[in-house]
Amino acid sequence: MSEFTNIQASVSRQFKVPADLPKVIFSDPDIYREELQRIFYGKYWHPVAHRAELTELHSFKTAWLGEVPLLIHRGGDDVVRVFINSCAHRGALLEQRACGKAQEFECPYHRWLFDEKGCFRGAPGRKDFRPDFRDEDYGLRSVRVEEFRGLIFVTMSEHTVSLSEFLGDASQPISDAMLDDGRLTLLGYQRVIYQANWKIYIDNDPYHAPLLHSAFRLLDWQGGAGKLVTTDPEGHMCILYQVQPYKDNGFLKDPSVVEFKGTDDRARVIALRPVTGITKHIDTINVRFARPLGPDSTEVHYAFFGHESDDEEYAKHRVRQASNLLGPSGFISIEDAAIYNRVHATSGDRGYQHFVKGVGKERAEWTQNDEVSNTVWWAHYRSVMGFDKA
Amino acid sequence: MDTVAAVDKLFARYAAVLDAGKVAAWAELFDEDSSYAVYCAADDERGLPLAYMLDDCLARIMDRVKFVDEVWRGTVEPYRTRHIFQRTELESVGEETLRAESNVLVAYTGKNDVSGLLCSGRTEDIIRIRDGEALFKERKILLDGTPSRYLVYPI
Ligand code: FES
Ligand SMILES: [Fe+2]
Repeated sequence: MSEFTNIQASVSRQFKVPADLPKVIFSDPDIYREELQRIFYGKYWHPVAHRAELTELHSFKTAWLGEVPLLIHRGGDDVVRVFINSCAHRGALLEQRACGKAQEFECPYHRWLFDEKGCFRGAPGRKDFRPDFRDEDYGLRSVRVEEFRGLIFVTMSEHTVSLSEFLGDASQPISDAMLDDGRLTLLGYQRVIYQANWKIYIDNDPYHAPLLHSAFRLLDWQGGAGKLVTTDPEGHMCILYQVQPYKDNGFLKDPSVVEFKGTDDRARVIALRPVTGITKHIDTINVRFARPLGPDSTEVHYAFFGHESDDEEYAKHRVRQASNLLGPSGFISIEDAAIYNRVHATSGDRGYQHFVKGVGKERAEWTQNDEVSNTVWWAHYRSVMGFDKA
Repeated sequence: MDTVAAVDKLFARYAAVLDAGKVAAWAELFDEDSSYAVYCAADDERGLPLAYMLDDCLARIMDRVKFVDEVWRGTVEPYRTRHIFQRTELESVGEETLRAESNVLVAYTGKNDVSGLLCSGRTEDIIRIRDGEALFKERKILLDGTPSRYLVYPI
């Protein structure tokens, strides 16, 4: 029996309903290894970039899907291709820059050359290669790609359903957050590493009760009147609400930073399974590209965007707001950051996490602040990991 | 007091007040029309304008103090810091105005009392001398990489 099979049986005995989570799922290394296989390399679509990050033809960005290095490239034909960022020869990491422009990739080790479609283009000493060597067998491995509103999604599995089927009812809120046409501009990144399991991160990021936020109280901000959309089977969760203009109550010396200066008052908060947060809040547009670094650690790149139509003043406002409000050190979301770590800190205590608010209500009656909305995902997770077989 | 001594005093005081957790005293080291921002160096070189913290006026600097001292206190995980600045550049750029650059290392001690490096980077500063006293007109911090944890306090 594998290590995972052992733990699988014991977790199954504890994981009776999706509203009571045995905390061992957040700390066990064998469960984590299995999640990489079943979830990160399994039948899911993962956003790894937005076209706005690849501003010109031949731009590339490197990223990771779990432990798999990716090379995301926008070709001269404007097609975005994603390769495993590993030389087809002996596996050297092919491109080590975070981003840049290139029309071909040369491996530094034995100077193999690949074109931007991933094809092998030549190498020194080619005539001495093994007799069965055919150029076409030694291209870069490519990964399935689909695009939606400029977001580039990849999947490692041949059996993943189409992207539109995977997104389901989450498509519309994502489209809203990408301002319908996806013609975004990149403002920059905030990068952070949380001392928290990836599931704790995504379970508490897009959704949580506004009770956490003392800032909301001090700013007289109200939450909770939103519409909730959850999808089956993965349990993507979307909260749709309207931006409420900030009424200055004198708390801030510079209230301009939280002001709503745009015209599009759709606010959206999306937890896209397995681990991506997407938000459109006040004048900020944010995709949170997250990557698990082990059972106890999650790296998140908060990428903030504007829109191509923004004038200079509005673009500047977006930058101020994005830099101060909703990143890992943002006025509002720093409290979220603290919670990921504080929830994770107890995950070795052999206890449970409980969902209580709204649990037992009909799905049609779930509201934004009901914890029950996360349990669709937890039911799915439980079955994908085989924890429902007690 | 000569100018260099005034700048030295400003840098020393800056580290001392932050390491003592006195954020309100930190704000007092900025001039009236000042700014404070923390960027990722590589993104800044790419021309990306987003910051980790972006206080482009004194009112924002004062608001940051309020958040650290009042709003977040019970939620965030606190940590101690030790700021080390080493000035690498100092030149006069006008009447009573100087441009400085420095390297910065910040050590931190948080959970489980283990110490580590919070971040490394450098600063680009514009300093104003008023009645012999130096104040920041601009402090721009460029981080070399991802901080070891989410940042609560100014750097
Ligand atoms: S490993 Fe890349 S050319 Fe040999
Ligand atoms: Fe929050």
